[in-house]
Amino acid sequence: MNSNGIILRLEDVSRIYLQGEETVRALDKVTLTLKKGEFVALAGPSGSGKTTLLNVAVGLDRPTEGQVWIRDHHLNSMGAHELARLRLNEVGFIFQSYNLVPVLSAEENAELILLLRGVPRTERKKVVHQILEKVGLRGLETRRPAELSGGQQQRVAVARAIAAEPALVLADEPTANLDSETALSLLKLMEELNREHETTFLFSTHDPRVIKRAHRVIYLVDGRVDRDEAQSE
Amino acid sequence: MLIVLKIAWRNLWRKPLRTLLTVVTISLGLAVLLIFLGIGDGGHYQMIESAVRMGAGHVVIQKRDYYARGGIDRFLDRTEKKRAQEWVREMEELFPIQYALSRTYASGLASSADGSAGVLMIGIQPKSEREASRFDDKLIQGEFLDATSHNQVILGEGVARKLALEVGEKLVLMAQAAGSPEIQSLLVRVKGILRTGLEDSDQTLILLPLATAQSFLNLGEGIHQIALLMDNSGPSFEVAAKGKERLPSMEVLSWSETMPELVDFIRIDDGGNYIMNIVLFLLIAFTVLNTLLMSVLERGREFALLHALGLTPNKRFFMVLFEATFIAALSALLGFGIGYGAHLYLHIHGLPLDLFYSGDLSVAGVTFDPVIYSDLSAARILSSLALVFLLTLVLALVPARRAARSGDIHLLGRA
Repeated sequence: MNSNGIILRLEDVSRIYLQGEETVRALDKVTLTLKKGEFVALAGPSGSGKTTLLNVAVGLDRPTEGQVWIRDHHLNSMGAHELARLRLNEVGFIFQSYNLVPVLSAEENAELILLLRGVPRTERKKVVHQILEKVGLRGLETRRPAELSGGQQQRVAVARAIAAEPALVLADEPTANLDSETALSLLKLMEELNREHETTFLFSTHDPRVIKRAHRVIYLVDGRVDRDEAQSE
Repeated sequence: MLIVLKIAWRNLWRKPLRTLLTVVTISLGLAVLLIFLGIGDGGHYQMIESAVRMGAGHVVIQKRDYYARGGIDRFLDRTEKKRAQEWVREMEELFPIQYALSRTYASGLASSADGSAGVLMIGIQPKSEREASRFDDKLIQGEFLDATSHNQVILGEGVARKLALEVGEKLVLMAQAAGSPEIQSLLVRVKGILRTGLEDSDQTLILLPLATAQSFLNLGEGIHQIALLMDNSGPSFEVAAKGKERLPSMEVLSWSETMPELVDFIRIDDGGNYIMNIVLFLLIAFTVLNTLLMSVLERGREFALLHALGLTPNKRFFMVLFEATFIAALSALLGFGIGYGAHLYLHIHGLPLDLFYSGDLSVAGVTFDPVIYSDLSAARILSSLALVFLLTLVLALVPARRAARSGDIHLLGRA
């Protein structure tokens, strides 16, 4: 498949779970495409399938039906090792509950992806210092996650997600556990990175303030794409 | 891999008390293993040394079939003795042979005014035996034989008691002479009385000068045995093997062939020790498995995160293996320190078994010193360290596999 600037493509993707004897259709024939540099919100009520879509989009979960591509990589036909390598090289992930490695410092967490990719130390340190400066964590490099506030931890997670300049950053409710001020500042940071590096962002949220700032909003209802709307910046 | 190593190392110290307890448990297991091996090997070494010095020697050269069939007539004549001695001189160039002792053996009867007893008469070279064997140390009365001792004997304590003899008193020895159906007799005087500690031996043993024995038994210059004593038992088998090749008309036997019951005892004892070590390590194994498995199960969310970030299953697998390797390395270091320290103490001061037992200690017909000195070879130490490493790593495979397979993304959502 020729990507033509397409970063993510889902085609008729369904994800069906069995909960006891009940079948739950978390995603129902979802088709969507994300292009380079898009800043997209995935909106919808709780249980609408936002997190499942994000997981399926990066191969953390397998679709029951349908096809998924990141650039030219067909995720359905890849094994666990290949998917792990793909995520390492192409995707940045920001989770709702920070999810930093507790035994690593802020700086080490931020450079984790670069380290795993084998980026040389000098280059790695330079990039990480710039990113930590940008996310406002200068001076906190040596602190471990337990010594940082929720907002600071989320900033480290953002720094980790973008340090290696991935093609696609997925964020699952990135502002859900943050106060309004911290959430707004984080959102601005993501917008800035999107603008400066043309990084494609896809973030799930049900926060209207966050939805308002997205360039495009995909509304999910009961696992189906209900609306897909562009918004003026 | 560096970051995986770093995370693995730091993970150990997330719960330092648990890690330290695990390390201490494995270390103590290793230390106990080294102490047991040292005492076991030391005890066996002492048994072998006692047996060869009180008995046959590390290697013996005899007339073919003498071991199985005995007999006064199966002796090495002058020519055979000379050939054997020449070969021994060759071996002395290659191996640490300290003594080559010529001996004669004869069963017979000893009589005094108070009675008679069946005895084993051993003709020895007094000067060499005094230096080489431990008969001299076992004397409880009188003096040992010397170059001037003609027609003088050393009696086992039991023989002396049975015949009611004291040092300086006379007795008559009777035995069949070589090449003759006639019974010979010889009047001798008691020069000393010894106590080997072995009831059987003390009840029958009589030592007499080789020249006296040769003349009494009509052996000429013949002997029944050349016993080789070395500074350690290590090369015994090699020397015996060479002897079998070079002296096909004679039998050249190592101590393990002349004392198979001692070999059997050591094997059984080793077997018991192995079983004990296995039980010990099974207990340790479950501690290690518990620690590593708990550590992995507790970190389900972290492994899911690393999985999501792109850490391959192989790297997650190795992360846990590295943790196990660190634990094994720390344990090996500490365990070696404790175990080797204890070994050095026991090597110098010994373990006094007489604290637990009274009387002489004898096993498989061998009396040995009740103070056991630890003897630990480099091979034993290395194999023990390797065992600890291997065991820890093998046990780590279970949690490592679990870590490699973990990646439950639903755990990531939990705040």
